[in-house]
Amino acid sequence: MSQRFGFPTLDRSLTVPLVLFAVLLVAAALLSPRLFTATGMGGAIIVAAPLILTTLALTPIVMAGRGSVDLSVGPLMGFVNVTLIGWLSASGYTSPLAVICWVVTVGALYQLLQALIIIYVRVAPIIVTLSSFLVLSGLNLMVMSRPGGVAPEWMMTWGAGTTIVSPVLIIVLAALALWAVMRRTTFYSHLRMTGADERMAYTSGVKVDTVRICAHLLGGVFVGLAALSYTALISSGDPTQGSSYTLQAVTALVLGGANLAGGRGGALGSTLGALNMFLISYLLSAFSFGSVTGFVTQMAFGLILVASLLVNVFMTARRTAF
Amino acid sequence: MTSLATEQTMSKITGRSVKLQRSIVIGFTLLAALLVLGTILVPGFISPRNARSILLLAAFLGLASLGQTLCAMVGALDLSIPYVIGGANILFPSLLVTGMPAWLAVIVVVLLGAAIGLANGFLSFRLQGQALIMSLGVGFAFVGAVQLYTSIGSVYGGTVFAPVPDWLRNIAAFNGKTFGLPLPPVVLVWLLVTLVTIWALYNTWFGRSIYAVGGSRTAAARLGISETKVWTSIHGISGAMSALTGVLLLGFSGGGFVGVGDPYLFTTVAAVVIGGTSLLGGAGGYGATVLGVLVLTVLTSLLVGLGLSFAAQQAIVGLLIVPMVAVYARTPHIRNQI
Repeated sequence: MSQRFGFPTLDRSLTVPLVLFAVLLVAAALLSPRLFTATGMGGAIIVAAPLILTTLALTPIVMAGRGSVDLSVGPLMGFVNVTLIGWLSASGYTSPLAVICWVVTVGALYQLLQALIIIYVRVAPIIVTLSSFLVLSGLNLMVMSRPGGVAPEWMMTWGAGTTIVSPVLIIVLAALALWAVMRRTTFYSHLRMTGADERMAYTSGVKVDTVRICAHLLGGVFVGLAALSYTALISSGDPTQGSSYTLQAVTALVLGGANLAGGRGGALGSTLGALNMFLISYLLSAFSFGSVTGFVTQMAFGLILVASLLVNVFMTARRTAF
Repeated sequence: MTSLATEQTMSKITGRSVKLQRSIVIGFTLLAALLVLGTILVPGFISPRNARSILLLAAFLGLASLGQTLCAMVGALDLSIPYVIGGANILFPSLLVTGMPAWLAVIVVVLLGAAIGLANGFLSFRLQGQALIMSLGVGFAFVGAVQLYTSIGSVYGGTVFAPVPDWLRNIAAFNGKTFGLPLPPVVLVWLLVTLVTIWALYNTWFGRSIYAVGGSRTAAARLGISETKVWTSIHGISGAMSALTGVLLLGFSGGGFVGVGDPYLFTTVAAVVIGGTSLLGGAGGYGATVLGVLVLTVLTSLLVGLGLSFAAQQAIVGLLIVPMVAVYARTPHIRNQI
């Protein structure tokens, strides 16, 4: 087990998401080849980007262990979105630099606050993030009571999705690059150690509190980027829709092979999980289910989630048997 | 040596019960404070009418939180509750439309809820660290399937229209009467369920087993308690109670709507946590949750009375959770856990 630390080999937990991804791609090619045109691909990237980035935001936080699934990522993304439109743009600060600084800072600062509460108040992380979910969902509606406002001028073309290479794709790639850099630091191995066994990490001299703070800061930066891509997608502010991303992101995280108990997970798996979620709903919308498409999608998500968890159990059971 | 060990165990046990009592004292104090605040700030807060509406809303939340409490006691969280409630809420009227007698339909829906819960518990047993997400997956699958079933041949996806039986309306509606008294019978149902649950948790083998498994898996196994059985059956109970709540909510609202369960996703957890059942397992009980449910409902009623919007209510409830939990359920520092 310890051998796997530090080796950049493909994790076996990636097998399930990879196989699922391949199957879904083949199915998409057969059923709806429109996806593989420049417009189809461009549109897909724009739609999938907020989910990919929120799933990435969950990844380091979940990896830090203690069952700290951050339920607040969805509403936090919504909060950054509505404050960006309702406060920053409305007061005239619309330059790209100001916007990017705002989203990243707000995301990171909020996550820093959460990390500090988890560490110093010593309440179970799930309770902290649950109360965050409620507080932020309420705050979002107080900042902006209904969807509205307009995104800054320069962002209007971002949501068109007519070409594959778009600013949104660059945001996603930048986030993945940030993860790749982070993987090479000591922080990454400390993060995995803390998540796998916090007491052991603590006794081995890992500064578990610092690790947790950094994990949340990194997650916060990703939430900020998610909010940026989300704003590009809807070109306005929306106080409620962001909250629905929490459950989707948690589902995508598990589909990507991460362990909610901590210690296992990665950017590649999370991205694949989010892409799989997107492909499933894309494929189901290709069938003509009419008014029941939403129900079929929900059922399919549920069944695939259960199946992928069970396959993961089966695989870990086999691994310990060696 | 032995006496010293016994003494230590004794002090540990009293320590735990003192902790639980402290959370109950805090709960009662908070409840009293909220009632006093309400009386001062909101005209007509202490009126039979308002008391009735508080008790009615508390009854639904209380019934839905029963399963969540049992799950929290062994360290699990059941996120399928809102989906089972929503599913039952539309499945029940659609069964009535097919001509099934209402009493049979109630039994079918509750048994189906129990079966979904059992399946959930059975599937998540090996994955206890991820039981949360497993219950979410099972919930998604169930509500999707029910919606598919009810929308076949219907133009209204997700909403079912059927005449609600009068007795069900009387049980759960605001103007329901119990033997002529102006109190909806669902409140009495909740009271009965509460008494039975509290008695069973303290006096039956099964009830003690839940505490044992939550306290220490190894110790429970040494006592011959089957962790699988406990884990699976509490999830089954949770599913059955959620389905029952879904059916009762139909009597309250008068029309089947799948989204009716959505608020219960986080409020059941909040009620459990405010009551004082630690999500880490082994401590707490349904009595504490009942207190949590009452605090939460009275608080909401107070905030509504003050004219706050739903958004502000949500934010305030959220802000209260962390300090509440910090009072009695702080985890020890990592250096003390080794």
